[in-house]
Amino acid sequence: MSSRLRLLLACLASAVIVVPLGWMWWSSLLPDTYSVVDMGYVDLGSGPAPAGAPGHNAMDSRATSIRTLRADPARPADVRVDLVARRETFELASGRRVDGYTLNGGSPGPTIRAQQGDQVEVRLDNANVPDGITLHWHGIDVPNSMDGVAGVTQDAILAGDSFTYRYVADQVGTYWYHSHQLSHEQVRRGLLGAVVVVPKNADPEILDVPALVHLYDGLRTVNGEEGDVSVDAAPGSIARVRVINTDNGPMTVWVSGSGYRILAVDGTDVNEATPVKGKGTLVTAGGRADIEIVVPDGGARVELGGSTALLLGPGASELPADTAPTGVVDLLTYGSPAPLGFDPKTATRRFEYVVGRRPGFHDGRPGLWWTVNGHMFPDVPMFTVAEGDVVRMRIENNSGDVHPMHLHGHHAVVLRRDGVPATGSPWWVDSLNVRDGESYDVAFVADNPGIWMDHCHNLPHAAEGLVAHLMYAGFTTPFMIGGTAANHPE
Amino acid sequence: MKSVYKVLAFLIAAEVAIQAAMMAFAVAGLGIWVDKEGGVLDKATFESEPDFTGAVGFMVHGINGMMVIPLLALVFLIVSFFAKVPGGVKWAALVLLAVVVQVALGIYGHENAVFGMLHGLNALILFSLAFMAGKRVTSVTPDRHVVAERELV
Repeated sequence: MSSRLRLLLACLASAVIVVPLGWMWWSSLLPDTYSVVDMGYVDLGSGPAPAGAPGHNAMDSRATSIRTLRADPARPADVRVDLVARRETFELASGRRVDGYTLNGGSPGPTIRAQQGDQVEVRLDNANVPDGITLHWHGIDVPNSMDGVAGVTQDAILAGDSFTYRYVADQVGTYWYHSHQLSHEQVRRGLLGAVVVVPKNADPEILDVPALVHLYDGLRTVNGEEGDVSVDAAPGSIARVRVINTDNGPMTVWVSGSGYRILAVDGTDVNEATPVKGKGTLVTAGGRADIEIVVPDGGARVELGGSTALLLGPGASELPADTAPTGVVDLLTYGSPAPLGFDPKTATRRFEYVVGRRPGFHDGRPGLWWTVNGHMFPDVPMFTVAEGDVVRMRIENNSGDVHPMHLHGHHAVVLRRDGVPATGSPWWVDSLNVRDGESYDVAFVADNPGIWMDHCHNLPHAAEGLVAHLMYAGFTTPFMIGGTAANHPE
Repeated sequence: MKSVYKVLAFLIAAEVAIQAAMMAFAVAGLGIWVDKEGGVLDKATFESEPDFTGAVGFMVHGINGMMVIPLLALVFLIVSFFAKVPGGVKWAALVLLAVVVQVALGIYGHENAVFGMLHGLNALILFSLAFMAGKRVTSVTPDRHVVAERELV
């Protein structure tokens, strides 16, 4: 073979390798600035195209801005909280020092307490967080402009700026708030806190114990404390422990020394909660579970994943910790059925949210990346609905990892898991643990207009592109991902 | 180009050795963290990048295995087209094949531990292939020094 021919063949062979890879790399690069309403493709869920279904123009003049979706601005606040966010090294309640983010000098931030129906107003000041911040009200179905997603419902609040969140706390239950700007970084390092909404006629005898669980630098804490954390509780008293999993993977809660009941999941009460013994309760990432314990004479230990526990009652310090139970309560069959308030059979739209994984490039980085319905970010479905639609969604996971799927602004009810119908209490979720190989059928009513993220709450997964959104026809957003405020919601 | 071929071959072999070392470092560190330092590992903790000695090993193993080594193997194959090492393309292709198998076994090791075991075995195959490919450059192609000596005779 002549050396010239050989060289030509070598160049051709190299081109066969380099050109397709280079093209894949180049086409995966994301623009610096883009709007979520231009992202991906419209998915109508086999329903009719609603009036004002999104075209591909973010500034569609006929569409209504989501900024108009807000709480009554004239109504005075019943609960007012001022929060100041800082990037700093701080001391946890346990005494351990952490390099992270604080709200009013500590992390977790203050627990916001409201009575059902209260107008809540939270002013957030960014003292010095260089990348900007927001607050998302996880599980609270706020008006869209208050959802706190940087680049979708607002601009990131830059250092020196402030933003006031206003909403009516209609839903009783356990919720939390956290940054939704660079959330995979800011949440992990402390920009978060609990929200508790109690009914007006709450029983003052019941001991209300928020238990915000968070891993700072990989070590588990509850309300910033770690190890065995004592709670003052008289034997015979009833405690409602509000477990909030603020981390990126599911955790198991179990109780040593007592049985318990699961009173609520993701803020919604369980209908006819039955006693649980010898089983744990799985709380997925972003999810909540309210656990009721009648404090025995010998006390009880609420084990939060095994490394940290809440000790209820004076005797609890003597109590041995049970090891993690092998089984968890199956919420598909827990409690008793009750009316849903709507009929999922009348669904006008049926969406698929199939999570997979394949090799490729994500914004120029090679790797094994998540896919939604076979497409890689940003080519993901825009689940398009009209206000009032009854929506069914099938969430399926074939990706090799568990995904805590979180839909903003709505609560969905679980109808089936792997085809098996739910027979227990209506299981309403905003954060659903979808294991590898599982499929869930859920349904919800599209009753909260706007543009809502529907993503994995393992926040690094979201940053890797496991994000889609629910889009109400006729609405648009003036905010951009990237842009002058450098909005990066994940 | 021959020396580039050789350097890349040995670099891939060295990277495989680093991979083995990093994994052992990470697993040992994890064991100590659980055993002696009261660390508790569950899915939430696993996802939060716990900060124990050796934890960096998991990260290095992932970046090296998913990005650096596949990239080196691709560059190695491209270089082999130009290097004029007898059988060089074949060996570079074998190395790339072993890398593809290795990445796949690594991924499926998260589904089934048997694949993890095979991942460990294939690492030795990959190391050997890369090392042999590098060694061959000197043994199959007489270098200039030897040629010069022969010409003198």
